[in-house]
Amino acid sequence: MLRYIEGPEVRITENDGIFLDLEFYHTKDKLTALEPHRLFPKSGGNRYVTLLNSEGEEQAIIRDVANLDEDSRRAVEAALDEYYMIPRITRFISMVDTFQIWMWTAETDHGTLTFEVRNHVATVKPLYDGRVLITDASDNRYEIPDYRKMDPRSRKMIETML
Amino acid sequence: MKMKTNSNKPFPERYIPIREALCDAEEPLFSVVGDLGMDRRYGEAALCFYKDRIAVFGEHIPGGGKLVAYDGLKSVHVKRMYGNAYFAAEKKDGAAEKLMRFTFVAAAPADAGADFVNAVLEQGYSDELLYAVENTFRELRSFCPKCGRKLPSPDAPCINCQGKSKMASKFAKYALPYKKSLFVCMLLSVFATAMSLVPPYVTGYMVDTVLPDRDKKGLWLMIGLLLGVYVLQFTVSGVRSHYLRLTGDKIVVDLKKDIYKKSQYLPMSFYDKTSTGSVINRINSDTSAIQAFVLKVSQEAVVQLFTLVGILVIMLVMNWRLTLFSLTPLPIVALVGRSFGKRIRPRYLRIWRRGASISSLLADTIPGVRIVKAFSHEEASAKKFDAYCGDWLKEEQRISRVVSAFPNIMTFLVTCGTLIIWFSGGSFIINGRGSITVGLLVSFISYAAMFYNPVNFFANFNDSYQNTLASAEKILDILDAEPERDFGKGQVPDRIEGRIEFRNVNFSFDRSKKVLSNVDLTIEPGDIVGIVGTTGSGKSTLINLLLRYYDDYEGEILIDGKDLRSIDIGYYRSQIGFVQQEPLMFRDTIFNNIAYGKPGAHVEEVFRAADIANAHGFITRLPDGYDTLLGERGVGLSGGEKQRLSIARAVMRNPAILIFDEATASVDSETEHLIQGAIERLIRGRTTLMIAHRLSTLRKANKIVVVDKGRIIECGTPDELLEKKGKYYKLVQIQSMGERLQAQKQAENFE
Repeated sequence: MLRYIEGPEVRITENDGIFLDLEFYHTKDKLTALEPHRLFPKSGGNRYVTLLNSEGEEQAIIRDVANLDEDSRRAVEAALDEYYMIPRITRFISMVDTFQIWMWTAETDHGTLTFEVRNHVATVKPLYDGRVLITDASDNRYEIPDYRKMDPRSRKMIETML
Repeated sequence: MKMKTNSNKPFPERYIPIREALCDAEEPLFSVVGDLGMDRRYGEAALCFYKDRIAVFGEHIPGGGKLVAYDGLKSVHVKRMYGNAYFAAEKKDGAAEKLMRFTFVAAAPADAGADFVNAVLEQGYSDELLYAVENTFRELRSFCPKCGRKLPSPDAPCINCQGKSKMASKFAKYALPYKKSLFVCMLLSVFATAMSLVPPYVTGYMVDTVLPDRDKKGLWLMIGLLLGVYVLQFTVSGVRSHYLRLTGDKIVVDLKKDIYKKSQYLPMSFYDKTSTGSVINRINSDTSAIQAFVLKVSQEAVVQLFTLVGILVIMLVMNWRLTLFSLTPLPIVALVGRSFGKRIRPRYLRIWRRGASISSLLADTIPGVRIVKAFSHEEASAKKFDAYCGDWLKEEQRISRVVSAFPNIMTFLVTCGTLIIWFSGGSFIINGRGSITVGLLVSFISYAAMFYNPVNFFANFNDSYQNTLASAEKILDILDAEPERDFGKGQVPDRIEGRIEFRNVNFSFDRSKKVLSNVDLTIEPGDIVGIVGTTGSGKSTLINLLLRYYDDYEGEILIDGKDLRSIDIGYYRSQIGFVQQEPLMFRDTIFNNIAYGKPGAHVEEVFRAADIANAHGFITRLPDGYDTLLGERGVGLSGGEKQRLSIARAVMRNPAILIFDEATASVDSETEHLIQGAIERLIRGRTTLMIAHRLSTLRKANKIVVVDKGRIIECGTPDELLEKKGKYYKLVQIQSMGERLQAQKQAENFE
């Protein structure tokens, strides 16, 4: 049976990097070294975050991280931030097509990089709210928060791919 | 041992002096270059692997680098997260340390590095450990060293660097059998083109000579000549189009036949990496792209070149000055044509993408209409379809602007070109300079208009070449792939008794992770062997090796004492009956689906096989009996019925070895009982291997093999294993408990 965490009934603390410890106030049950994973990494943000033990078995689901107490929320957010790396692309510098293989150079919130995009028809996904999700040839993910708000040059470059 | 490729990327230059100082200039066995700092900003980091230590380099390390000796380590591992991963070491004192962070670009070599270190920690260093690492690096090195183009597989020849002529020669062999027709078509094209060059000249002559001289006879003569030319030109064009179409169709059919045939002989490892849908697409669509290109090169390019040169020569002969004037808009036309080609390509791609969304929605909802209805999703499906069509329409309208504007812009430019000719030619005539006549001017304007077609053709030629290159590569990926070895070349023994022996067999799909380890197993003729184990334990891989889907295993598999790889693959497979969990029915009659196991079989043999398989009864009750047509998914038949047909198909072969892969996993207990009966009749006297989750299906087995994590952990008679109280005993306990509970529940419900 699924076990949901609404918010105030637990205290979550940082264990190590991506791992968390959890304690239920009422039952005094303690769970350690849990790995939080988003159940909807693309669309759900911090709603529905599952907590897995070292065997990969689910121990509980946090319905919404925002409902946790301040310290627990910070701990979960820090662990999620450590686990998920989805650089946000702020500007495109170049998109070079050599024999149907695209090499894109972009500025992101993690720095500038060049990555390979294969079969952009399948790997560049525009969403209705202007977000664009990109998966590169090595399975790394990138996000454009709203391509309509990019500078005209970058916007023109990405628009041809959508 | 020195590895040929020992790094996933060039080692960062700034860490070279640090490495030399740290490691006394000793070269590492291999390096993994990362692309993230510990703060997850893009940057350079690296791990160098030695026989006894790892050298770690990164900005987070004071001094830029440090050594981690293996003797202080318990193990290392790669933790993959979302979009990034880290390489961590666990020390003997229990402390853990993250050594390097990276995106998934470096994940595979880092995994290989971790496997290497753990293997050294476990069994000490040996050169063999480097093979797996090198294989991983080789997989990554699938770029052409010359042009940087991504290759379909490591060490595959780069078709771009092979040169256009090499690629052309690969496809030219399909055009060669039709060289006569193609040559005739080309001659006809050249003739038709030459005819098209006549009218402007005749027009000029009429304007200059016939009309001013009021020469009625000459006028009739010229009209007659023009009529003759038009009749010839269009008749020849018609004949040429007909023959070209016929030849083109023959070329594409030959190509499709070759690819299809080749695809049937490709090894399973090819299909592991390539989706069947993409193979179908290559046979259907990519061949047409090649056909179009072959015809473009062999016909249109020749014709356009001939037109271009012909017009240019005629114009130069007529008046070189006017020719130069009329060529003035040429660069603009070429540039506009090219820029249009570039702009339109992504837009067409967008339309294609919207079209593909509509197609996939159709492909999901029309065949799945039962589910749509069952979940009352009719309205939602219609709305989704509306939205997709709306998106398509929006794109179509956007492209429509460009597509409509382009020909008009081109025509406008060409018309501007004629204005230049009118201006310069007209000025020459009015001023009486040069030897220009009105007729010549009229001819010139006609020729100039004809001149721009070939110009536009060649301006966009490279783009269509690039597009074809993508299709060509996908096709060559199949045509150049290695087929299964020794088809029709191996030994053909008189008969197969069915003795199977696995001797220290090791197997991995990509050498980095073993799927089967040290498998030793002997099966005597007539043995009924049950193979049990959890999902992913290696049961199916064992069967895949026995079916010879993969040949590159270590160790030996012997059939009646002969190396499996030495037996002719076609003959060997004809001696095996294979029944899968999900039986595949071909789009054909029930009769033909059963007779697939033995083409040309007698009707009564098929009846007998169906009877053995407990299928004859239900077939006779079908309105169309053995003539019942089945779809791809065996429309109209239940899972159990399809399964019995596939057993009948196996019976037809009269095989020496029978393999059942979860044959009764997806049917109810009553159907299982029927299938079980069929199986029991079939397996009499034959070596049988059965993979089963439900242990009840193995009640006839005289030998049970328990596979776990790629190893055989238990092997013996059911009684021996039950006595041993190991894994098999546990599985039996769990299942019988489950069955008891189920029976109890059923009884309660029944009451």
